[in-house]
Formats: sequence, structure tokens, C-alpha cells
Amino acid sequence: MDAHKDNSPTAQDSQTDLPRNRTQAVRDLKRRFMRNDILFSALFFLAMLAAPLFPDVKGWMLSQASLVIIYIIAAMGVLVLVGFTGLVSVGHGGFLAIGAYTSALLTLHLNVDLVVGIVAGMAMAGLIGAVLALIFLRLSGAFMAIGTLGFAFFVGTILNNVPFFQGRDGILLDANHVLGIEIGDHGFYYVSTICLVLVTLFVFALVNSGTGRAFMALRDAEKAAMASGVNRLKYRTLAFTLSAAITGIAGALNAHVVNYVSAEVFADIWYSVDILMAVVVGGSTVIFGPFLGGFFVVMLPFFFEQLADFSFILKGVVLILVLRFAPAGIMELLVRPLKNARRRRLRKIGGSMAAEEAE
Amino acid sequence: MNEHLRCEGIRVSFGGVVACDDISLTVEKGKIIGLIGPNGAGKTTLFNVLTRFQPYESGSVFHDGENIDALRPHEMVHRGLARTFQNINLFKDQTTLRNIMTGGHSLMGDPLQAMLWTPSARQKEREIEDRALEIAETLNLTSELENEVGNLPYGYQKRVELGRALASKPSILLLDEPVAGCNDDETAELQEIIRKVNTELGVSVLLVEHDMKMVMKVCDYIYVINFGSNLAQGTPEEIRKDPEVIKAYLGEEEHV
Repeated sequence: MDAHKDNSPTAQDSQTDLPRNRTQAVRDLKRRFMRNDILFSALFFLAMLAAPLFPDVKGWMLSQASLVIIYIIAAMGVLVLVGFTGLVSVGHGGFLAIGAYTSALLTLHLNVDLVVGIVAGMAMAGLIGAVLALIFLRLSGAFMAIGTLGFAFFVGTILNNVPFFQGRDGILLDANHVLGIEIGDHGFYYVSTICLVLVTLFVFALVNSGTGRAFMALRDAEKAAMASGVNRLKYRTLAFTLSAAITGIAGALNAHVVNYVSAEVFADIWYSVDILMAVVVGGSTVIFGPFLGGFFVVMLPFFFEQLADFSFILKGVVLILVLRFAPAGIMELLVRPLKNARRRRLRKIGGSMAAEEAE
Repeated sequence: MNEHLRCEGIRVSFGGVVACDDISLTVEKGKIIGLIGPNGAGKTTLFNVLTRFQPYESGSVFHDGENIDALRPHEMVHRGLARTFQNINLFKDQTTLRNIMTGGHSLMGDPLQAMLWTPSARQKEREIEDRALEIAETLNLTSELENEVGNLPYGYQKRVELGRALASKPSILLLDEPVAGCNDDETAELQEIIRKVNTELGVSVLLVEHDMKMVMKVCDYIYVINFGSNLAQGTPEEIRKDPEVIKAYLGEEEHV
């Protein structure tokens, strides 16, 4: 600190010299960065909401856009678990299916509102997630991955074989309605987008709270987290529950995007793999990672339509390339320069000696 | 005697090797207690018993006179017992500020309120942050608050870990070799900080340490263990003169 005082002749520098002033300057700058992020995100979501105003955006294109959003929401659930808590799940397709069937069956038998269906799907997936967490969290690493995969298969088997779920015939639903008003493709797109906004807001609040800090502490150094008073089982159970609930929202939406659920779709293990892949490819440490990943997973087959069945291979190739060259995901790669620049500025204002060394 | 933390008849064995055999020790309120002994004497094992990271076969641990045998590691900090690790154990990719704030986890309250940013949770979050900033100032870390701790030199990391422990407002600090691997300047600085924490905040300290010079200077009372048993105890003066201690240490040096 003293050495730095000697090196700062200008009036402005001497003003920021006191540690307290510096700390305040750092705080202000961080707040400004956060404001910029929020502003950018708000513009992005506004653009999403405005997209259907273009006359070309309708029908298939619109439901495809809704599907992308659904995948993003599902991937957000996985992000909480894989990215921020350091746990692996290869079976989130199971929670997607639980959300979908909960909402579909409620709509079929009780003709509930779409919003009620979504909330119910979320609650049911979260509830089952909480119970399963008590089993899965006793397993570690690869065993947990296998356990969750087993769960997805289990759900698939139930859907296929228990008559109540109508197996491969599926359940056909009436048109969606919100607050008694029937909504079409446009309305559904708005509902999905609003869900995405709410989920994104929630995940943002979560990772920027003490709860998120506890998740990340467990991810980065378990013993140090425990020494800090983080109850491992409690926080992991919470992370797993939240993760399942978020994916449950996606599931409920997925049931209503085509108003049809069937075991043929939801018992498919590739669902789980796709969701996980959206996170890994998009980015597991940045909130906007799943946005890119969800888009990639849903749209890739369409960009290479002629290749048809080869899209699986293509996905595999992309996955390998990402893991090799951008292990934290493509979004992380894109925002890294910005992140680094911000960090450098914060360090410099804070008076870090490491920053001074670098200059 | 005003006891703060006490263990009695602790026995731990790993397979056939007995690491601790009937060890007893008392940390008095407001004092700095040293725990020393030659390599392999069972210091770290005993330390981990006291912090509940290591299960033991027999014996008991008491905090404020209350038996805490059943406590789990993460519950210790909520009772005011904070610890550091022998090999630095930090959240390396996170900034200094976040590391210290994580240490304040026990002050956070309900996780559901915290993640929803309720007014009371935000208030607590601000308190945790303010406290972290204060600690950073005490530990001379203010300049590195926004630096990832993985980038920091060793001596800084040691201080960040101390900061994380302090963030929980502990009444007793358990430090496992706080100056191991530090150079003379860093050792002197940490020594000063430990003394400051003890005198200004009234925090009791238990120190496991190899650096004899530092232990003799900083501690009010010292326990010496050897081959998993109590060897001697007393003030630094008494320990310096104790023939048993001299034998244990000189004996070790003769072989070197």
C-alpha cells in the first residue's frame, strides 16, 4: 500500500488512496457492471417478447421458438446443479417427464388453467426431486450420474407400462387456456418467454445470494465449505430440489407446446442427454450459457436437414470439440474477454499488487 | 480455571497405528494455546478431533463445559468454533471477498429467504459483506479483494484462510500450522494478526505449529505431545526447560 502511495502523484489517485475510498470505488464499479448486465438482459428479453410482432414469425417457427425456450428452461435447472453446485445429473429428462405428465393429467382430468399446470408441474418435479436427492446425494461422482440415469429409465418404464399414463398412445390435450382465455401459438410463446424470464431472474438471485455462495463453496472445496458451516446434505438437497423444479416447469410447457404427451417422446433417454448437453456446450458457469446451448440442441438438426440421422454424430462431434477447446462452454468463451477486462479494472481500482505487477 | 474447549482421553487409531492415545487438553478462555510435538506426534489428528472432522474411538470433547461429541463439522462454526487447514483449503477460483464472505455463512440465516433476497436477508448479506471488508482491512487484504485467491502468493492465501475463519465471528479459533511455509516477514505478520485477534476481539486461540520460535513468542500456554500421548504442558518458559521436551526434540535432531 505504501509503495503505491509514492507512485500516485495525481490528485485523483490520492483521493482513491485510502483503503475505504478504494473499497467504495470497487463497490460502485461492481454495481455498475451489474446494472449493465441487467440492462443488457432486459433488452434481450424485450427483443424476445417483440419477435412475434414480425409477420413472418408464426406457426411452426413460433412453436419451434417455444421449444427452444423450453430447452433453455430445462437446461437452467441442470445449470443450478451441474454448474453451480458441482453435481452431475444425466437423468433430468425424468423431471421433464414428471412436469409434463403432471400438467397434462391435470389438464385432461380437471381441465386446469395452463398457469396452474405449470405451477403443479414445477411443484411435483421439485417434490420428487427432494425425495430422490436423499438417495442420490449419498452417491458421489460417477455413481450419482449412473443413479440419475437409472431414474430417467425408471420414469420411462413407468410411462410405458402403467395404463394411467396411456403409454405410447399418449394423451391428447385441448387447446391451452390462460385465465379462461384460449391462447394460440403466439400466446404460448409469450407464456414460455415469461417463464424463462422468471426462471432467469430466480437463478440470477440464487447465484448472487448467500445460498448460491454455499452451493459454490461445496463445489470448489467441500471441507472448507463445511468448516464455514455449510451443511452439505441440506444445501445439496436444496440445489437438487430447485434444479428438478425448474426442469419441471420446462416439462409442463413441453406438454402444452404441441398439446400432446406420449411415452414415445418422454421415455426417451436422449431427452436427458440433450438437456445436459445444452448446459455443457452452452456454458455451465454463466447464466446465459443454457440460452446458447438450448438453441444449439434444438436447432442443430434443422440446420443440417439433409444429414438427417447424422445429427446425432454431429452433436457428438460438437460436444467433443467444446470439451477439448472450451471446457467451460461456448458462452463462457464469448464472455471471457469482457469478464477479464472487468476483473482487471476492479483489481486496478482496488490497488491489487498483482494488477500492478501485470502493468 | 475458565475453560473454553477441552478434550479428555482422546484415542484415535488408523488400522494398527495409534495416532492419539488418551490425550487431554484444555483451551482457556481468552488465551492462546499452543499444541506442539515432533513430526507424526498426532497433532493434526487431535486438531481434527477437536474440530470434529476426525471421528474418535474414545474420549470426549467439551465446549463451554458442554459435551459436543455428537456435533457434525459444519455445526462447529455455529457454536463459535472456526478453523483453518494445514494445507490451504480455499475456493481458488473465487475472489478474496467471496472467500471471506463464505466464511460468514453461519450469519446468513435461512437459505430460502437468502435466495429470494427478502429484505431481512439482504440486510444480513450487507452485514456479512461489511464484516468481510473489515476483516480484509485488518488482514491487509483490501487491495486483493477482487483477485481470485488462486492468483495470490502463499502468505496472502494463508491470510485469506484466516479471514474466512474470522468471518464467522468465532469465539475460538483453531489454526492448523498457520505459518507453515511462510517466510520470516509473513510469519511475523501473521503472528501479529493472531495476537491482535486474541487481545482486541478476545478470541481464544488453539495453535498447532511447527515453528517453535513463533509458538514460544505468541502462546500463553503450551501442550507438547509425542507418539500420540501427552508429554508435557506449561508456560513457554517451563516448556523450554522441560527435560522431556528437550529429549523428544533433541532426540529427533540426533537422527537427522
